[in-house]
Amino acid sequence: MSAAPDKQARRDRGIAALLWYGTWAASACIAIGMALGLVPSSGGGQGMGLYGYRFVQAGVALFILLPVARVALMLAIFLRERDYAYTAISAFVLLIIAAGVVSGLH
Amino acid sequence: MEASVIFWLFAAAFGASALGGVLGMASGIFIVPILTLLFGVDIHVAIGASIISVIACSCGSAGPFLKGRLTNVRLAIVLETATTLGALTGVFLIGIVSTGFLYGLFAAILALSAQQMLARRREAAQAGTPDAASWATALRLHSSFPDRALGREVHYQVGRVPLGLSLMYGAGLISALLGIGSGVLKIPAMDAALRLPIKVSSATSNFMIGVTAAASAGAYFVRGDIDIGIAGPVALGSVAGALLGARLLLGLPADKLRIFFVIVLALLAVQMLLSALGVSIPGGPA
Repeated sequence: MSAAPDKQARRDRGIAALLWYGTWAASACIAIGMALGLVPSSGGGQGMGLYGYRFVQAGVALFILLPVARVALMLAIFLRERDYAYTAISAFVLLIIAAGVVSGLH
Repeated sequence: MEASVIFWLFAAAFGASALGGVLGMASGIFIVPILTLLFGVDIHVAIGASIISVIACSCGSAGPFLKGRLTNVRLAIVLETATTLGALTGVFLIGIVSTGFLYGLFAAILALSAQQMLARRREAAQAGTPDAASWATALRLHSSFPDRALGREVHYQVGRVPLGLSLMYGAGLISALLGIGSGVLKIPAMDAALRLPIKVSSATSNFMIGVTAAASAGAYFVRGDIDIGIAGPVALGSVAGALLGARLLLGLPADKLRIFFVIVLALLAVQMLLSALGVSIPGGPA
């Protein structure tokens, strides 16, 4: 019982790290894209310019993927801990998210 | 889009998100009214931008809660099965229901949440021996967190999980329909059904919001329903604001937080009801 909080703390720190660095990466992408958009020169175009737009788009996509990656990480952790009930629960959540994306493609 | 508009989108999202972070709720509830009323953005574009900022806020502010062991990660993934299913339902419904209905629904949800917050001002957490036959016991959801004020580990029981799951399905549905995190629904659900300590319910709700929002945002993104030029600056502003708000939240007393929560919810409910009835706000676009 005494080892449980330690294991939990280690697992929680891993998830925290993923979300923290992922947030930084996505934010940096958006910030770079916005900064590229501020550089005028190309003129007349629709605001951000193509490169800027692509960076912002990548940042937005990264943000959407981040919670999905978090669930995938939890699935991996539960699997390593041989906690099959929670592995199945995590897989089910991923499946629901995938169903939404697939429905959007049609 | 002009650079000044991009700046103001960023600034508005920052302010809204800092406020939302203090209240322990995602800023989507502020983002949609700001975008539609101040920037004259179409409600569906506002919902698409808002749902991205909701994800950004949740991910950006999750770290301190996780490190403080306030987030019940097991409970979160169990409840996420219901919130993502609800979000999936919302993705199918959003093309069917009218905008006026959405505003009315928004007002009703806010009023309900304000009333729930007002009615229950004390800690709902249960002590004592867990019920051996309950779902929460079977799923090993009971946990503990270090209370900094008391300086010791506080153990808590998780209450009625089936009721919690049904409420979470509704929260996920509303999240996808209105582009909000549904923290206003998740936190009352956690208090009333699951009877969690307030700090645990705030942290766990915030943690779940990202996955719930990603379920609908993924569908909206591949459909091309998300305006990148608006969603980008709003998401960036939201992250910056959420980081500030999360720092303030950890030091705030729960009682004062709740009273503030009730007032903001009531004001937003009135504003949304006016929008549903087609009353234009003075100063807003015609």
